[in-house]
Amino acid sequence: MQVSVETTSPIERRVTVQVPAQEVDNNVDERLKDTARRVRLDGFRSGRVPMSVVRQRFGRDVRNEVVDEVMRQHYVRAITENELNPAGHPSLEATVNEEGKDLEFVATLEVYPSIELTLPEDEQIERPQAEITDADIDEMIDTLRKQNAQWNDVERAAADGDQVTIDFEGFLGDEAFEGGSAEGHQLVLGSNSFIPGFEEQLVGVQAGEEREVTVTFPEDYQAEHLAGQEARFKTTTHKVQAQELPEIDSEFMSRFGVEDGDNDSFRAEVRNNMQRELDNAIDNRVRQQLIDALKSRNEVSVPSSLISQEVEGLKRQAARQFGLGEDFDVSQLPDELFAEQARGRVEVGLLLAEVVSHFELDADDDEIRAFIEEQAGQFEQPEQVVEQYMGNEQMKNQVKSAVLERKAIDRLLDKASVVETPMSYQEALQAAQQQDADEAEETE
Amino acid sequence: MNQERVFQVLLGPHMTEKAAYAAERNQYVFKVASDATKPEIKKAVEALFEKKVDSVQVLNMKGKVKRNARGEGHRSGYRKAYVTLAAGETLEDFTGAE
Repeated sequence: MQVSVETTSPIERRVTVQVPAQEVDNNVDERLKDTARRVRLDGFRSGRVPMSVVRQRFGRDVRNEVVDEVMRQHYVRAITENELNPAGHPSLEATVNEEGKDLEFVATLEVYPSIELTLPEDEQIERPQAEITDADIDEMIDTLRKQNAQWNDVERAAADGDQVTIDFEGFLGDEAFEGGSAEGHQLVLGSNSFIPGFEEQLVGVQAGEEREVTVTFPEDYQAEHLAGQEARFKTTTHKVQAQELPEIDSEFMSRFGVEDGDNDSFRAEVRNNMQRELDNAIDNRVRQQLIDALKSRNEVSVPSSLISQEVEGLKRQAARQFGLGEDFDVSQLPDELFAEQARGRVEVGLLLAEVVSHFELDADDDEIRAFIEEQAGQFEQPEQVVEQYMGNEQMKNQVKSAVLERKAIDRLLDKASVVETPMSYQEALQAAQQQDADEAEETE
Repeated sequence: MNQERVFQVLLGPHMTEKAAYAAERNQYVFKVASDATKPEIKKAVEALFEKKVDSVQVLNMKGKVKRNARGEGHRSGYRKAYVTLAAGETLEDFTGAE
């Protein structure tokens, strides 16, 4: 076997391999003999088909099959001997493929880029410092109450903030238009879920009243034939309901897992949750900054096969999120939608892997177990989850890489200079969300 | 013999165990049109494969008689030709000349 490796780009290699003719031909002959024994042809008793006929009929197929296999075997041997580290699958192409001649093929593959790591050592990392104040907790409890509010029928004119149940039918001029009518629609006045002006004109309506509402669709309305048009809506109000916020009593608290109905322990629980959210937000923010710094200091050429792998993964994830079901054909989703995001993720993955090997980090079973236990806390039977993960080599490796990534980040954090930036609870959360949004925009 | 008739005479190769043995002795078996004559077959093979033909033997294969619930019927028969090529000539891919 003769191998020559060409470097065509920093991450692409062309490997040319020659395989002796004998090796291929022997293999073909053997397979043909086997075929001759098994095959059933019209005009021949089974097992009595002469080789010449078999070769004529099946020679080409068998050869293709054998060549495919031989190429794959030799490709693996070639990359092991030359210590190449392929990313994804190669494209194999036979250049000389004839009986009696040495088989020659070219494998084009992408290798993992070798990264000259520049560590973001003197990078300034901003770590939000936030305290949860009593006011923050009050606000959170208010939000919780609103989420759990009840709607009660009232016998009065609808006011802002009330929920009305209405039938409506929309007209452009005298014509009813499509999609402009509904029955039994529940609308919260002042929630701005309808066309501007619609909800305002319903303020003061009584249950059972019919009222006509005239509104103008905004210029940028999504249905083009309606944008900018003036429309009349005939509405019939069936119900007017007022919002009733639940009292902060033991029943309300028990919904959030506080059984003893004690106000202080409820506040403590809320505070705990908020603290957890805040910690997460701060962690994410710091992590994101480090990764950004790492990215901006290191140029990585990303193998396209890794990107397409990642794109596949993202697609599947997206399909799951949208509830499209397991058997949804993900290839229907366009690649471009995910390409940028995938690229970013692969880049980060490669860089972090490099950081891991730079510091020679490793994670032992205890650390992995600790990490799973931490994550498993939210499941109902944490022990089972832990055992499941520890018992499955593949799952364990996934967790291991997560642990390693975290360690890598910690190391980077040690080197970086951290600036504590005081801000309020809300600001800290928003800052983290802001960043997520920025990221999402970048990837679009 | 005109070009058209050449394609009408030879209907296809006849591949069986017997034909495979015959091929080793430089004899190739064809299904031919039921009205084809030996000279016609000879010329057709020479024109189509560009090989020298030594001799041709022909025979008529009778179709099998098949009975079923509706009574008796028979499959159609065909005419078969054993074509011996001149010494030194071989037909490499003897697969299909329709």
